[in-house]
Amino acid sequence: MKLTPTLFVAAAFATAVQAEPLTFDFKDPKGVNNVVFKLDAPLESINGTAHGISGTVTVDPEKPENATGKIVVATDSLNVPNPMMKEHMLGEQWLNAKANPEITFEIKKISDVEKSDNKGEAKVTGIFTLNGVSKEITVDAKVNYLPGRLADRSPDKTPGDLLVIRSEFEIKRSDFNIQPGQHLDKVSDEIEIELAIAGAAPKKS
Amino acid sequence: MARLLQILGVLCAVTVLAVWLILGAHTGWTKTQTSTRHVDPVTEIEYDEFKPGFVPGVDFLAVGLAGSGLLFLLGFGISKLQRKKNTPT
Repeated sequence: MKLTPTLFVAAAFATAVQAEPLTFDFKDPKGVNNVVFKLDAPLESINGTAHGISGTVTVDPEKPENATGKIVVATDSLNVPNPMMKEHMLGEQWLNAKANPEITFEIKKISDVEKSDNKGEAKVTGIFTLNGVSKEITVDAKVNYLPGRLADRSPDKTPGDLLVIRSEFEIKRSDFNIQPGQHLDKVSDEIEIELAIAGAAPKKS
Repeated sequence: MARLLQILGVLCAVTVLAVWLILGAHTGWTKTQTSTRHVDPVTEIEYDEFKPGFVPGVDFLAVGLAGSGLLFLLGFGISKLQRKKNTPT
């Protein structure tokens, strides 16, 4: 009988610990996290990727609508397979990577959350900054929470959780002052973006 | 000299065409990287791994064939000039 209060306190403590929001770090040493961008063009569509992803998202898996955080993409990590195209893309006339070294998305609001088990879908509103221009956008996101799976990905078997975020959305380069109204016969105004990133939250010892 | 330039032009055109065909007959822009798609087994995220690799595109074909054509025309022009020079007036 004496054990009962102790067990109750322990259970309450465990619940309190579990309910704590987790901070997921999206810097991926494996280089798996990626953003794919596509622009329509006459000869062939311009397909590129970016791997220089960092940032954190703090989320309580039980209350995902309260998540906060910021995802950062290093502008100079944007890559296309044609070297001249890459030089132009990162140059002063287009993304000006030297002056604008980061592309960011900062979460402001999460709505329309649909959750089942460890998977969920939601509308995420945030401030998207590209080419030094910030605009509020709302994107659809799919989230997969993988509790206890960090050890399967880290060489030193660090215990912890993973959070996988996927999103597909479209922006217009003219909205971000990237050659607005220019070269529309060569490169479309619309940029399709596909994001697939995993963040890690190591267990606090 | 003129004949040599003409032969060189034809050889260049054939080589450029052969390289373009052998390396994939890519109808887009020239690439200096090739990618292989992978799937991370834990997160199931699909990602591309890049490595250096030359895939000639239509720009390579156009510049190569234009250069070859120029060589051929130069040879043709020189030959015409030589013929004109050797013709008794």
